[in-house]
Amino acid sequence: MLIQAAGITDVGLKREGNEDAYLIDDQLWLYIVADGMGGHLAGEVASKVAVELISNTFKKWSQTKAPYEEIFGQPDASLSLEGNYLLSGIRLANRVIHEMAGANEKYQGMGTTVAALAISSSLVVAANVGDSRIYLAREGQLERLSKDHTVVSEQVEMGIMTEAEAANSPLKHVLTKNLGSAEEVYPDVFELEPANNDRYILCTDGLTDLVSDEEILDMIMLVKNPENLCRDFVDLVLKRGGHDNTTVISVFLSGIEEKKDGVLKKTGTMAADIWFGLRKGLRKIKP
Amino acid sequence: MAKFVLMFNKQVIQEFPLQKGSITIGRSQENDITIDNLAVSAFHARVDKTGPDFILTDLQSTNGTFVNDKKIVSHKLSHGDNIIIGKHTLLFLAPEVQTEASDPDSASLDLNKTMMLDTERQRELLAKQEKPSPPPKEPEKIGVLSFLDGSKLGEVELRKKLTRIGKASTSEVRLSGLFMGSTAATISRRPSGYTITFTGGLTKLKVNGEVVKGSLPLKDFDTIELGSYKFQFYQKEIQ
Repeated sequence: MLIQAAGITDVGLKREGNEDAYLIDDQLWLYIVADGMGGHLAGEVASKVAVELISNTFKKWSQTKAPYEEIFGQPDASLSLEGNYLLSGIRLANRVIHEMAGANEKYQGMGTTVAALAISSSLVVAANVGDSRIYLAREGQLERLSKDHTVVSEQVEMGIMTEAEAANSPLKHVLTKNLGSAEEVYPDVFELEPANNDRYILCTDGLTDLVSDEEILDMIMLVKNPENLCRDFVDLVLKRGGHDNTTVISVFLSGIEEKKDGVLKKTGTMAADIWFGLRKGLRKIKP
Repeated sequence: MAKFVLMFNKQVIQEFPLQKGSITIGRSQENDITIDNLAVSAFHARVDKTGPDFILTDLQSTNGTFVNDKKIVSHKLSHGDNIIIGKHTLLFLAPEVQTEASDPDSASLDLNKTMMLDTERQRELLAKQEKPSPPPKEPEKIGVLSFLDGSKLGEVELRKKLTRIGKASTSEVRLSGLFMGSTAATISRRPSGYTITFTGGLTKLKVNGEVVKGSLPLKDFDTIELGSYKFQFYQKEIQ
């Protein structure tokens, strides 16, 4: 399996500082974006701490194949071991940011969103808190692998607001979850198998505020490499006013062969299957 | 300080200064602002302080919440807003909160900026609403595979985010067969629901009789076939 990934972050046209942070780890196949919030430099601190802590813990735990007792918080039985590493790293980052914010006046009220994607040859884990998103484009379809934790998207889920109303609501940036504001956080985590030509996009709301899902899919289908795709996304955001920081990571998968067991192994299994089948049959015939 | 003035038939009944981050309005005594009238739902609406602003949210009330004669779901309150709940009017007064109309450019709050709702208050509020709550939380659902063939597998609950189906010993659902793939198919639970994906092997995957080579979202009572195995997908409520 081959993975090509590229990332870009842009301050935009209206903001003075960039509170977004991102990470691409080509060894671990780990990708993270974070959108910090909080006065002065607190937002920048929160997003950087989140990105670093999540990648450090994921690296340590996955390299040592850490058992559940060693990771932070209660494991989630619906997830794989890797899924739990990512979940646990996000929970730990939340606790650290929360405590930093409580201990230091200049960090008061700081927080960050996070969207993280971890890929291996047989598993993709997507986790998020807040309104940074993870998209998957596969077979010409775009799918969200993240959930927006905003007041309006919760109202959409409850059926009291439509998607269109949500997109135009002045409250669309009000989060119900982030890293930092509460002692505990429960990220949404999803798992799936990777497939050939999968294209994943991680992004902060600087992109999704100004570019629709349909446009995102169109651009993914058109652009052939991850660097150009990130650049094109940011160019479009700037053309439309770029009121916020924008961060995008594009991850392209290729070279996944259809999982064929070795020919010898296959023939061997087949022969064994036939042999055992015959024996079973023979036993039935024998008196 | 911001406050609400409760009025009925143009008569002032009571004033409510906003002393905390979140308040609820409704017929039940548990609300911060109680309006004893049958046109008002038990928990009718709530107000949350977000940064310098006050956000009014209708709690799926029977008769709705209106601001300046417009029905709202959520609304950022401005000084002088008239909130109509049932037959009562609540006047919102907060001279320090700028009105949007008078000063559109330099609004005190940059709404493009991501903000965090005061979660502690919100959680208290949600906890308070647990019993007589108007928006009943949908019970959680879980996918189930119900085997229709003679394989005696019965029902398999899809308790994991990713379920692998195939011959490999690591599969959550193990199926045998000469041409069955080690992982023949996977079912993953995504934000949009359950999706089945064909992953490999010589045994074809069929959903409702149609061969699936890629992915397909699953609907309740879809019939899935893998070789001689046949099973139905549906979702059931769990505790």
